Amino acid sequence: MKKNRRPFGKILMILAIAFFYLPILYMIVFSFNEGKSLTSFTGFSLRWYQHMMESSDMMTALYTTFSVAIIATLVSTVVGTVAAIGLSSSRKIVRNIMEQVNNLPMMNPEIVTAIGFMLLFITFNVEKGYMTMLLAHIAFCIPYVMLSVMPKIRSLDPNLADAAMDLGATPFRALTKVIVPQITPGILSGALIAFTMSVDDFIISYFVTGRGVKNLSIVVYTMSKRVNPSINAVSTLVVVIITIVLIVINVAPVLAARRSRKAELGRRRRFVPAVAVCCALVIGLFAFRAGGGAGGDRPFEGQTLHIYNWGEYTGENIIGDFEEETGATVVMENFDSNEQMYIKVANGESYDILVPSDYMIQRLIQEDYLQKLDKSKLDCFDKLSDEVLGLPYDPNNDYSVPYFWGTVGIVYDKTKVDIEDLEQEGYNIFLDEKYKGDVYLYDSERDSFMMALKALGYSMNTENEAELQEAYDWLVQCVETMDTEIVTDEIIDNMAQGRKALGLIYSGDATYVMAENEDMGYYMPETGTNLWSDAMVIPKNAKNPDLAHAFINFASDYDGAYDNSSYVGYTSANQEVMEVLSGEGGDYEGINAYIPRADNENDEVFVYNESTKKIISDLWSRVKIAASNAD
Amino acid sequence: MKRFSTLAVPYIVWAALMLVLPMALIAMYSFMEPGNSIISFSFTLEHYVKFFTDPDFLLILWRSLVIAVKTTIICLILGYPVAYFIARSREKVQNILILCITIPMWINMLVRTYAWIGLLSEGGIIQRILGLFGFGDVELLYTEGSVLLGMVYNFLPFMILQIQTSLSKMDYSLLEASADLGASPVQTFRRVTFPLSLPGVINGITLVFLPAVSSFFIPKLLGGGQYFLIGNMIENQFITVGEWNFGSAISMIMAVIMMLLMMAVRKIEIHNQGGKGERA
Repeated sequence: MKKNRRPFGKILMILAIAFFYLPILYMIVFSFNEGKSLTSFTGFSLRWYQHMMESSDMMTALYTTFSVAIIATLVSTVVGTVAAIGLSSSRKIVRNIMEQVNNLPMMNPEIVTAIGFMLLFITFNVEKGYMTMLLAHIAFCIPYVMLSVMPKIRSLDPNLADAAMDLGATPFRALTKVIVPQITPGILSGALIAFTMSVDDFIISYFVTGRGVKNLSIVVYTMSKRVNPSINAVSTLVVVIITIVLIVINVAPVLAARRSRKAELGRRRRFVPAVAVCCALVIGLFAFRAGGGAGGDRPFEGQTLHIYNWGEYTGENIIGDFEEETGATVVMENFDSNEQMYIKVANGESYDILVPSDYMIQRLIQEDYLQKLDKSKLDCFDKLSDEVLGLPYDPNNDYSVPYFWGTVGIVYDKTKVDIEDLEQEGYNIFLDEKYKGDVYLYDSERDSFMMALKALGYSMNTENEAELQEAYDWLVQCVETMDTEIVTDEIIDNMAQGRKALGLIYSGDATYVMAENEDMGYYMPETGTNLWSDAMVIPKNAKNPDLAHAFINFASDYDGAYDNSSYVGYTSANQEVMEVLSGEGGDYEGINAYIPRADNENDEVFVYNESTKKIISDLWSRVKIAASNAD
Repeated sequence: MKRFSTLAVPYIVWAALMLVLPMALIAMYSFMEPGNSIISFSFTLEHYVKFFTDPDFLLILWRSLVIAVKTTIICLILGYPVAYFIARSREKVQNILILCITIPMWINMLVRTYAWIGLLSEGGIIQRILGLFGFGDVELLYTEGSVLLGMVYNFLPFMILQIQTSLSKMDYSLLEASADLGASPVQTFRRVTFPLSLPGVINGITLVFLPAVSSFFIPKLLGGGQYFLIGNMIENQFITVGEWNFGSAISMIMAVIMMLLMMAVRKIEIHNQGGKGERA
């Protein structure tokens, strides 16, 4: 219309596109980064691609994302079109009511729809997993298909079908030969919307999934706290797939048209290659999944082990090695707090192995969710450190086998923090305005209260409400005067980059930070700390306890434990691994955080107490609200 | 066409089961005494009372609404000119530009948001660039600004595409007519273009506001642990606290607020169209 007369518009357009593509570009670049950091590019490497290919978790998620999207698109397109045709010939009142009903998932906040589905499946005892995710996707996709098909039907001549049938066509033929071809553009755009919604969905999938079934969004959400550049590699792969699909959709019809010398390309011509590409992808993914499973007489061939573990808490190779040795498939689901895990278990979701912390194990035992271990199947106890066995939460280790253990302490930048301040003030350094704006708190209710209680000289297991209230005031003072940031696993990358001077941290994370950055130190105040341990347990409703026992042995054995500990940084429960890693030439030589302190009488192990826990959870959420209002 | 009406029956059954029943369940849970079984239903209003009597919860609700309004306004201001530019390009260019806006939506939302963490964090590219201009120590990540940015980034395409659709349907000879009749460009925009694009604007506002108000992963990824919005509160109740009844009550409150707001927005639209009709 008006060429070259809109420089302002052009600049704006370029800026908009730059804005949209900047993060995508950034992600692609950093997928080739050698190091783990998200901010500094240290060199070119394909390490994260290799990691991604080896991680069955991510490849499965990719498969789940696309297979759910494709099936949901196909089903919802067919069902939605048929329903729309049906409704258009129904009575007006039915039509209006259904229009309102279809508006429910579109006009409600997505999280409300998601919770509705979740409650539905739980109320009717449908086991959450792939099927529930697929059903939910179909359910929220159909209204979008109908929304785009309906106007096309309305614009049809209502006598069209009747005319066809008067001329002798059966109703089915009238439908497929007359009506559907007329509304094809509406059907196609409906299908496209459905596919987009499904591929990109996070909230609904997150609430209706179970048994370790994850799509890409859920993988990103559950592991994004700890930097794992494999996410960038997966995303780059998705970008590549989508680019190929788009090119095929847009280029193939052009080529076909050129060959057949037709000037006009119908939209249907675009659809055929699109479907072909999608099918090829699904088949490819299936082939990928089926491949690599050819084995002889391994003990657990074809069986599945469901593990529910902390995010980023296993080594790079242990799962693959275990699958190789036993022939079983491991499905790993991650949590980021004990409470999150507890709710799933209490709602009857079934796992074979859980890895909760001390106080939570005590709670699970008390509430009868765990089964006793069959010690005749376990050969690992004599390999474990004495310090982690026979702890008060499970005095005879009837239920649990320790996995990692450690302490909680202060990670500090030696170049910014005076060690004398730390020694004098202990945890009260978190109230020292000298370090204002330079402090991380950790988003864990029990460890934040541990810090406050220990700073005040109380027991971290106190049941005294006045002491808890005092601890609460201490924390509020901290967040209000110190300009703190409350983080979770982001602290690892951030401290490794030296971004703040101080932070409350788990010893294993401190180990990792110190291995990455020499300026960092780890200090445990004399007033005491939390001596924690996370251990493997088998729930009562486990479907494969035999395989679970085999995994416990495998993870406690030297090779498995070494892989875990050297990759994650947490202290291994395996005595030999701990000695090798902290000894001469070990990964963690000279890092004090790796060896938990054993000689301070103020150190404690957490004890579970229901009413105290409730008070602490409530107070902690108020501390966080105070922090967000302090900004 | 009447013979096809039976085709709708299976879907009506499905919709009752998969769309209506879940909402009914949320409502039931929200009026139920604590405990997660609907068999032993006993009515209570305590969850609603708990929400409305606690200033902290109300503050979170208020903050969520405010940030969603801010997001919507920014998206409208940024999105409108972009949509206008696209709508007035030649058709071929238009298709390419629309594709450019759509492609990012096909790449996972979380992944794209995640990339912003690297961009915004301390020592990241953006901070280093700002450093060149002497603003090196501005905190970017884990602030309200970063949450706002994440929301605008994720939801802006919805706004652009909606406005573009309704602008491209417009008859541009109207603009010439308006100019011929002596209207200034500003007047033309105010009296002709904008009213005609209003349906798109309204749809865009809906599509941006709705997800913005309930988003919980954007505040969680870009806002850090201390940035709490109503979506995070609901997630927390269901995933880590386990008080489903209270969580359901918050969901109901949110659904009702949204419904009222949407009805109000639709009213504006109908009112405006009615007004135009009279003048014409």
